[in-house]
Parts: sequence; structure tokens; C-alpha cells
Amino acid sequence: MEKILQIKDLNISFHTFAGEVKAIRGVSFDLFKGETLAIVGESGSGKSVTTKSIMRLLPEHNSEIKGGQVLFDGKDLTKLSDKQMQKIRGKDISMIFQDPMTSLNPTMKIGNQIMEPLIKHQNMSKGAARERAVELLRLVGIPKPEIRVDQYPHQFSGGMRQRVVIAIALACNPKVLIADEPTTALDVTIQAQILELMKDLQKKIDTSIIFITHDLGVVANVADRVAVMYGGKIVEVGTADEIFYNPKHPYTWGLISSMPDMETNDEELYSIPGTPPDLLDPPKGDAFAPRNPYVMKIDLEQEPPFFKVSDTHYAATWLLHPDAPKVEPPEAVKRRQSQFPGVKVGK
Amino acid sequence: MSERKKLLEIKNLKQYFNEGKPNEVKAVDNVSFDIYKGEVMGLVGESGCGKSTTGRTIIRLYDATGGEVLYDGVNVHGNKSKKELKQFNRKMQMIFQDPYASLNPRLKIADVIAEGIDIHGLAKSKQERMEKVYELLETVGLNKEHANRYPHEFSGGQRQRIGIARALAVQPEFIIADEPISALDVSIQAQVVNLMKKLQHEKGLTYLFIAHDLSMVKYISDRIGVMYFGKIVELAPADELYRNPLHPYTQSLLSAIPAPDPISERTRKRKTYDPATHNYQDNEPVEFREVTPGHFVLCSETEFKQYQAQSKQ
Repeated sequence: MEKILQIKDLNISFHTFAGEVKAIRGVSFDLFKGETLAIVGESGSGKSVTTKSIMRLLPEHNSEIKGGQVLFDGKDLTKLSDKQMQKIRGKDISMIFQDPMTSLNPTMKIGNQIMEPLIKHQNMSKGAARERAVELLRLVGIPKPEIRVDQYPHQFSGGMRQRVVIAIALACNPKVLIADEPTTALDVTIQAQILELMKDLQKKIDTSIIFITHDLGVVANVADRVAVMYGGKIVEVGTADEIFYNPKHPYTWGLISSMPDMETNDEELYSIPGTPPDLLDPPKGDAFAPRNPYVMKIDLEQEPPFFKVSDTHYAATWLLHPDAPKVEPPEAVKRRQSQFPGVKVGK
Repeated sequence: MSERKKLLEIKNLKQYFNEGKPNEVKAVDNVSFDIYKGEVMGLVGESGCGKSTTGRTIIRLYDATGGEVLYDGVNVHGNKSKKELKQFNRKMQMIFQDPYASLNPRLKIADVIAEGIDIHGLAKSKQERMEKVYELLETVGLNKEHANRYPHEFSGGQRQRIGIARALAVQPEFIIADEPISALDVSIQAQVVNLMKKLQHEKGLTYLFIAHDLSMVKYISDRIGVMYFGKIVELAPADELYRNPLHPYTQSLLSAIPAPDPISERTRKRKTYDPATHNYQDNEPVEFREVTPGHFVLCSETEFKQYQAQSKQ
């Protein structure tokens, strides 16, 4: 498969009054053409910082890319000038933000906001851009687009606004679409509509999507592949089936079993004890060790490398080392393993 | 099951905003249900359906436009002296959604938690007051040292624990939890839900659990009510509601929640709800009817028969 975007050993720090916060500590991943990659993790795990760095949207006065590359179209985005970046942002790579209530300009008509990237990036005339804006509104399922194009954001509901945001993001047929919690602020029924719309549009224009969310239900619905982040690192990556039915990292186990499914009854919910690590002073060894019920001595001393589970599935935990003791994952995870398509359990 | 005691009876509760004006909003429109002692009653629905308003009206943060809320047989609304209200406030407490906005940033945690103790005069000396605070902090999984800190020093999950400690301070019987976990991370959500469940068993509490996350509601609730446009459209035991949803709105809501399960997600069929499908006649009475024991649906006579036939299969 063709690689659209490659992130290589990215390190990002924020300079604060309390000291240097090492928000991203060596993140690497690839994005393939036409796929949806979901990034999951708790707040503060570095999901949003990673994607904002791709778009170069991090505040310049206090953030610093300490190392690594973001390769897109043969160029390293971290090295581009602002001007060069502006040609990519909104054209080849665009973004949908979490809150549709604040990501539109309240003083501008919807139509003008959609026309902006078309006129800037594609040198369209005003008339042509307007026609395209109406077309885009129709594409994202807004009724009466000829009338709606001249309305202001406050005249739209939350779900409709998010559709407008999607229309703006898709205006130039981007190669990469970054969606940062696009449905978190919406109701479940509206969320279902927006997810369906995104999947539908992805098929039509063959874009690759990076989808950030902490809702594992949404991940299961949209993702081809999943990357799990913890403490500024990716700790496990694999296809959706591999992550949901055959997870290997104890943090992924914790995430999956702390969500009740329809079969969870009176048993106590599994909860990950403790709190996320302090990235001002990242712990030595495995950052998850203090919360890990399966912690071993080596976790406290040395950072685990990625161990290969399959060609598409990697996890960074010492439990996969050949010398590690065999441990039993939590009940909820074992229940899932039996559903893993085409795999021998407990070999 | 033995005869269960009704702790709360909500009868034809109405809460209208801008009453009589053109922009009148019927946020809660003729809602009736009971809450039994020791149970967890879940209330779900989309934003704007009136679930939070229902909770807030029950605890009398709003004065009801009409209807009654009977707590242990005594009407909560209606004329009450300050003293009576105070007594009632001790029995019923609330946990709020946003743990960042619901704690006074200028008070130390000890004072946040002890506010109820002070108002109701539950501690005779300063020492007793602090002992109670320490005990409450321990109950919710925090420790003594936290008492002298300010809210900004805590994470979201810890703040929600403080909110729970504050609610427990006056030894209530009934707690309204208005989206207590929506603002928290997944791994922290489970911690707070487990804590609430543990406290329920230890202290024999009754909860009204308001949320829009249906899988969590199913996990914690004994019975669930589904609200749509100010009305409860379906009310049933939690398992029954998920196994046999009868009202088309409930079906649409359930079909919209993505499950953390890629295989079933690939084949998911989503239903949409259109209120016009009911095709109610002008004078047709649409009432809350009991289709099978404990399973109530808002429906017309014809629909009622249809649902009954459906449930027998």
C-alpha cells in the first residue's frame, strides 16, 4: 500500500513555568492511502499534539519540535517555512475540530467560509467557488443548500455546523483529513449520522483519515487501524480487529475492559488504578509501569521496545519478551479473544 | 420479589420555561414515574430532551410548573417553611456534571465538603467537623492531606470524588447524579462508577442517574427511562429495555450507539426516528401504558396491542 504520510521518531516539548513538558516522546507511524487510522488514549497522552504538529498548529512561543520528521509528499513538514506550509494546510491536509460551536467564524456567512480555501488554493473565481460551495453543502447532506449558503453559523444546529466544518475541510479534496474528536460534542444520533457521512465521503474522494477519539465504540465503527497512545508514546498499533480482539499491551487491556459492553453485568468494572504520568518528569522505564498490575522489575528500569505480534500488529510491553512470564489478561479481554477472527487462542 | 418501597413518586411533573409567552418551552411535559428505595434509576436521552431539567425540578432547583414530587409521601413542591425545606435538603443531594465548575475555587476542600455539615449543624466541635471530613475523603478514595488543598490542585476524577464526598456529607438517602462521568476520561469513568456502586451497597443509597452514555447507564441502572422532547417514551428494567425496545425512538437511540466491537459495527443497521410514523389521530389518547409487567411505553391503543403481541413472541 502507498504511504501518504510518515511520522518518524517525533519528539515535542512544551516550555512552561514548571519546566519542560515532554509531551511527545518518540512517536512513529505511517498513514496509508485511503485508510482510517484511529488514535486513542487518555487526555494528555499526546494525541492532539501529534496531529497538531502535522498541521504545524502548535503555538510557536512555547512549543518545540525537538527531533523527528513528518514526511508528506517527499517533504519534511517540520522544516517548511510558514508560507510553504500555508500552501499545504487546508489543501492537501485539512482538519476537523472537536467543537463545531467554536470552529466556525460567527461573523461570516457559511458560504464565504467554504469559498475561502477554494479561492485561496485553487484560484477559483468567486462565482465558481460559490457554485462549488453549494455543491459541497449538498454533498454533506444539508437540505436547501442554495438558501443555507447565505446563512450564518448561529442559524445552524450543532450537527449541521459539524457538516459545514466537514464541507470546508473537504473543499479542496485533501489527501489527508485529520479529525480531532469530531463527534465528541454531538448527541449519539447525530454522531451516527456524521460518522456515516465521513465514511461515505472517504469512499468518494479516497482521502486518508486520522481520527482522534477516546470513544472506543466510535473507533470500532470507523477505524481500519488503531494506534493506542500513552504518556506521549504509541504503545500498541494494529488493525482494528487485532486491537479489539487480541490486544497485547496491559494499557489496552485496561482501556477495553473499563468500558462496559452489553454482556457486562454485576461484576465490578475493571478500572485502571492511579493517574497518567507526569510528563514534566517522565518516569524511567515503562511510563505505564506504576499503573500496571502486571508490572515486572524490568519495566521500572528499561523502556520496552516494540515487539512484533503480526505484520500489522506491534506492542511495546516487556510481557511479549520471550523470557517474560505468561500472564492472564482480564476476563473481558479473554471473552474478546474468543471472537478474534481466524486465530488460535492461547497457543 | 418482595414488595418494594416507593421512595419517590413523580406525578405529572411539568416544567415550562417562558410560560404563556410565544417562546414557551415545555422542557418537562407531564412526566410520571416512581423510584424505589435502593434502586438506580437511569434517565437517558439526547441533549435538550429535558432529562437534566427533570432532575433539577425533582430536587427543587426549579419550581415546578405543575404536578407533584412525593418524597416518602410528602410533596417536595408546594408551600414549605425554611425549616421543612432544610430537612428535605438533607435527604436529597446532587452530583453535578462538570467537576471543574461545581467546586468553589476559593474554598479549601475541607470547607467545600463541610459546607453541608455546617448548615445542618451536624458537627458539635471543630475537631468533630474535621474528623467527618477526613472520614468522607477516605470513603471516596482520597486521603486526609487533601483536605487543606484547593480545587485547582486536583484532576477531573479526583474533583468528581470530592463532589461525591460533599453530597455524602449530610448522609442523604437519595442522590441525583447529573451526567457525573461525562466530563471524565474512560479509565477514570470506571473508577467513579465503581465508587458510586460501592457506596450504594454500603450506604443503601438510591440514585437517579442521568446520562447520555447508554452502555454506562445500562451497567449501573436497575431501570431506565428514555426521554424525548420532554416526555418519557419508554421505561423498563435495564436488560429488558436493551433486549426488547418497543418505542421506535428507543430503537433508533440504541441503534445509534457504537459498540466497542468492530465485527458487529460492520453490520450495524441504523434506524432513524420520525415522529410522523405514529400517525396519531387528532383525539386519539396517547398514554403511558404497561405492555409487560414493569415495561411502560408511551403509545396509543392500537400501538399498545401491537407491542403486546410483539412482546409475546
